Amino acid sequence: MSVVAHRNQVLGLYRDLLHHSSKFAAYNFRDYAVRRTRDAFHAAKNETDPVKIEALIRNAEHQLEVVKRQSLISQLYGGEKLVVENPKNQKILRRH
Amino acid sequence: MFRAIRPAALYRSAVLYKATPAIVARNAMALNFARTYASAGLARSDVEKRVLDILAGFNKIDANKIALKANFNADLGLDSLDTVEVVMAIEEEFSIEIPDKDADEIKSAEQAVEYISKREDAH
Repeated sequence: MSVVAHRNQVLGLYRDLLHHSSKFAAYNFRDYAVRRTRDAFHAAKNETDPVKIEALIRNAEHQLEVVKRQSLISQLYGGEKLVVENPKNQKILRRH
Repeated sequence: MFRAIRPAALYRSAVLYKATPAIVARNAMALNFARTYASAGLARSDVEKRVLDILAGFNKIDANKIALKANFNADLGLDSLDTVEVVMAIEEEFSIEIPDKDADEIKSAEQAVEYISKREDAH
């Protein structure tokens, strides 16, 4: 696969993962999923080994399915908001 | 029997309806609401400010370098992953979804403003 195709695929995965991660109703899971996605992608951004890149992409695709499924379930059983979730922090994507 | 009465009753209620000033006033208000809502476009200066505010919210970005024409990558030092996050923050702010191919084209605040002004559903 060409570099450009890889790049678009990875950015698409990053986008989708963040998008679905931010849909968890439960604060802890949501925060963890967003943080984990962000950390993992930034940690691997300089990877050049094509075999490793392929493996990382496969893993991201798998995780995306997990996050999609679990965030949906989380929405079905959404409980009360935590005290830390005050309206000021409602922007799900915490800027960094 | 009912058929004979109904038109007359309808007519009478229509007259009553028209004659009540309170109802006329309420209708006028409803009309005003509808108008305001339909014509609610976003002012360009407002969009610009909101986009720049989003950029200011990112710790990675040097506040002094934020400008409309600043390129995310070359001027603000954001990598492609960060740019994805900026675009997502813009989507969240204006309650729109930006398709991947359009998102790829947004490389500066100015381009973001340009894109948002084209989207009628942004608010």
